Amino acid sequence: MNGTTETPRPKQRLTLLWISLAALGASLLVLRAAVAAQADPTGEATRSLWTTVGVWTAALLTLGILSFLFRDNPFYKICESILIGVSAAYWMVNAFWTSLVPNLFAKLAPTLVRDTMLPSLPESPTPIADFVLACVPLLLGIMLLCRLVPSVGWISSWPIAMVIGVTAGLKLVSSIESDFMAQVGATVQPALAFDASGSFAFWATVGALVGIIGVLSVLTYFFFSVEHKGAVGKTARLGIWFLMITFGGAFGLTVMGRITLLAQRFEFLFRDWLGIGG
Amino acid sequence: MSDSPLARLNNLDRRWIFLAMGLSIAIPILLKLRFPEYPGPMARATFNAVEAVPEGSTVLLSFDYDPASAAELQPMASALVHHCAARKLKIVFMALWPLGKKQADGTIDRVLKEFHPGYQYGTDYVQLGFQSGNEGVIKLMATNVPEQYKTDSSGTALTSLPLVAGVKDLSAFKLVASISAGYPGAKEWVQYGNGAMPEAFSIVGGSTGVQVSQLLPYYPKQMEGMLVAVKGAAEYEMLVEQKYPVAKPEVIGQGRVRMGPQLVAHLLMIALIVLGNLAMIAGRSRGGAR
Repeated sequence: MNGTTETPRPKQRLTLLWISLAALGASLLVLRAAVAAQADPTGEATRSLWTTVGVWTAALLTLGILSFLFRDNPFYKICESILIGVSAAYWMVNAFWTSLVPNLFAKLAPTLVRDTMLPSLPESPTPIADFVLACVPLLLGIMLLCRLVPSVGWISSWPIAMVIGVTAGLKLVSSIESDFMAQVGATVQPALAFDASGSFAFWATVGALVGIIGVLSVLTYFFFSVEHKGAVGKTARLGIWFLMITFGGAFGLTVMGRITLLAQRFEFLFRDWLGIGG
Repeated sequence: MSDSPLARLNNLDRRWIFLAMGLSIAIPILLKLRFPEYPGPMARATFNAVEAVPEGSTVLLSFDYDPASAAELQPMASALVHHCAARKLKIVFMALWPLGKKQADGTIDRVLKEFHPGYQYGTDYVQLGFQSGNEGVIKLMATNVPEQYKTDSSGTALTSLPLVAGVKDLSAFKLVASISAGYPGAKEWVQYGNGAMPEAFSIVGGSTGVQVSQLLPYYPKQMEGMLVAVKGAAEYEMLVEQKYPVAKPEVIGQGRVRMGPQLVAHLLMIALIVLGNLAMIAGRSRGGAR
């Protein structure tokens, strides 16, 4: 111990500054929201208690999620847990009402479902056939749940095999037609382009050449049976450039999407919650 | 010896960057900054595809997204519905996403009922709603729409709705538009709708920025038009509003409003990338690193 008084280090001072800024900002926001006219500024709409509660809840949850940018904190943890819990519950309820009820229960016991769950359920002209056909997914579903019992877990392999087989069968034809044959057809273009009047189209030709060079060079990069050196190596290198530019474009589009999401949340906070910038 | 200001950027607290990004988005929103949009070929192709549908024909609009993607997709959905109604096309709404039906309902209220009050349910538009089954829904609709949708979203039998009473399969529609946030969406409409009957109808799609790279290969052969994220929405809004102006431009103008923050935020990002690289170079040269 040297007996000197400890002074806050620069990093601690910076943290204090950030906490002060965050607290001040949050206080100002809440104060502004509390006095904001959340009703229609024209005065035509009436105040609604539940809309106000909804707007405040959404605003506080938004701020809670955004608070992670400052640092991990309990407010963020609460909002994150609520989001995960609500999402899980939503998907469970959604699957029950959109899949199990209309596609299974309504076929197995239509009268009961009509009386208790779906009054608008139409009469089926073939109830017996519906019942028999619905027994197949019911049985497969039960077999799938066998996975929860270790001693009979192997039974779940059968419905999984069926799901994989059906999915493969469903996708095979469409993928070959739409993602392979049609794509090959769209790629095979004349290198020299001419417009409707028959005159040379410069930029369309440039586009076609870029397409041809891009496809061939990228395919060369993924052709691993030949060592990538010499002319093959240079072509593969060009293919990497095409790939990098493509990935850059995709990343740019992703950034654009994320900025839009943030802009929409800010619009909500400003207009619906704080009542400014409307 | 102290580091140069550029080299010190390497130790910049990342929260300053978050703050700058927040301000770059907040300030344009508060100042309502708008910049001119110049419609690109994809937005024009989408516009032309809708224009090419004969008046009075029936189109199918599939709302394949939920509120999480509404910031990007709702502007183009609103503009598309207004465009179809302004051209006096009959509209059938449906959804491959559970909350897509809710998004379609909101669009009907804000756009169709607001700007086209003459549109009557059952004869001018119908809401089929959501059906589970993902691409299976499209596959069945390609051959038998009444088998997939026995009733509309409110439980009314399709046979009692004049607009869809005679619909047998997807060939009843001159245009199919999917506003899509992922799976199932526009990609599945191309694979299972266009793939099943390539000459029967045109397909146009609108998608989020994240999904665009999956759909680009389909344009323009398998998908006649495509709206790329909020930028595509802004361009399409401009084309639609120029030809079919509305009384409340803010409803068919959300995309352009959101392009203001986009521009400023992108400029900030470019500046940060340049500064970051300069800081790295400055740090290396000072430290003698390679």
